[in-house]
Amino acid sequence: MAEDVKPTRKNLMEIEDRIELSERGHDTLEQKRDGLIMEFMDILDQAKDVRSDLNEDYDHAQETINMARAVEGDVAVRGAAAALKEHPEITSQSKNIMGVVVPQIESSRVRKRLDERGYGLLGSSSRIDETAEAYEELIETIVLAAEVETAMRKMLEEIEKTKRRVNALEFKLLPDLRKNQEYIEQKLEEQEREEIFRLKKIKAKKEEEASEAAEAEREADETAEEPERVSADD
Amino acid sequence: MSTASGTSNPEYVVARVRARKASLFGDDDYRKLVRMGPAEIARQMEESTYEDEINALGARYSGVDLVEYALNRDLAGQFDDVLGWTEGRLYDLIARYLRKFDAWNVKTVIRGLYSNVDRETVEADLIRAGEFSDRQVDRLLNAGSIEGVVEVLDGTLYGGPLADALEEYEDAGVLVPLENAVDRAYYEQLLANLVVDEATEMYREFLTAEIDFRNARNGLRLARSGADLDPAAYYIDGGRLFSASELSALSESRDELLARIRDSVYGDQLDNALTVVEETESLIGFERALETALQSYADRLGVVHPLSVTPVVSYILAKEREVDNIRAIARGREAGLSPERIEAELVVL
Repeated sequence: MAEDVKPTRKNLMEIEDRIELSERGHDTLEQKRDGLIMEFMDILDQAKDVRSDLNEDYDHAQETINMARAVEGDVAVRGAAAALKEHPEITSQSKNIMGVVVPQIESSRVRKRLDERGYGLLGSSSRIDETAEAYEELIETIVLAAEVETAMRKMLEEIEKTKRRVNALEFKLLPDLRKNQEYIEQKLEEQEREEIFRLKKIKAKKEEEASEAAEAEREADETAEEPERVSADD
Repeated sequence: MSTASGTSNPEYVVARVRARKASLFGDDDYRKLVRMGPAEIARQMEESTYEDEINALGARYSGVDLVEYALNRDLAGQFDDVLGWTEGRLYDLIARYLRKFDAWNVKTVIRGLYSNVDRETVEADLIRAGEFSDRQVDRLLNAGSIEGVVEVLDGTLYGGPLADALEEYEDAGVLVPLENAVDRAYYEQLLANLVVDEATEMYREFLTAEIDFRNARNGLRLARSGADLDPAAYYIDGGRLFSASELSALSESRDELLARIRDSVYGDQLDNALTVVEETESLIGFERALETALQSYADRLGVVHPLSVTPVVSYILAKEREVDNIRAIARGREAGLSPERIEAELVVL
């Protein structure tokens, strides 16, 4: 509230400084927001592709495992899956996109050669191989989707945050500061006008007092001269 | 209990298996099944020869699991009966083929121990259709460790090969050497010391084709994957199509391997499947063609030499096909596949 601010020149200068800083911050945040939106659009395209790949890979993996369970039997498929020793590993690092820390997820030992899957070649079939391949592909896509979609979510949160800051500056802080500035300026002008008026009044009063004193002096002089003239006549 | 000693009794066994074969599901039954859901399939099975199995397992399982476990249990019961009826040389010939279920059980127990699966789950996955007695299978289940399994199998077909593979398993920490040892022991006994006469010639041809097809599919899988493996890990002796060194060299070039299969005695039967492999990356169509070729062998087995091992083997293969088909239909329906897709992809009607 503008009325809460003391209308002093010091406050005015402080508010002017804050307005300048806020305007600079507003411009910077606007640029950041626009940059983030551009980055987000790139990630969004990538996320759409990854999501579509994920759906495709999931459907394919489900279809191959359904077929394998149908033809080889559920027990054979479970047995082949149980033979795996080296499970995939996921490592997570982070990278910075315009100040937003997003994860960089890397997977290792997902894709395996035929001899690394743990089940014997002699007692298995290519349906099992193709099911394993389909799931290896799916895991890689899931890891990629996790990376891209987390980055997208974080970017979105950052855009929202930046947008809220820009809006707060644009629609709340800066208008309030300007209102305060205007209020103080008005008050100061008013004080100035009052001061001038007061000074004028004082000056007028002083002039009036001076003229009154002069008049009194003159009258006193005239009174003193009158008896002297009467005695001389005598 | 039957043994390989004594005189063969093909007349009795053939009469029994003919009756059993007559009650197998036909094409019309499959056409009905592909339009049913898993629960309806289970109900349909309850009205057939699978009644006892469905009733026995109905309280523990439901849906497709019930169908699959009932099929496995029935298969085990049927083959156990067949082995029980046979005597003498006929027993030996039949047991050779049925030992694949022993191999399956050994691998299932080893996998269960490897991945710390509880005993009940492993037991449910066993198919007691091989030569091992229930006592032997129970000892396997109670072995407690992979070393224990190897100990229990000492003196059997699988004992020696597993003991040899144990060190490699302990070094590498993966099951491949053990599983390969079990499978190799099974495949190599198929033709070992097989006395061939006119009646068993076609049976031998069938077993040889099975080994050749297994080698061919493994060679192609290897060529597709690009893995560089010792031929000992995937080659089976006894086939007529490749030697170990030939397959090892051919598996580096898919085109040469395909050309070799095309020029072989199986070329005509597999011609279409080979074209599909050449055009696509997937080997599934090729494997399906191999299975179809083996089935045509099996069908021929049933009609030649009516009083020999061949009608019995033909029944065993037909029963396996029935189990595969019903399971494929039930699992396919559960996965939401259309009847047409199931017919085209899974079931040979």
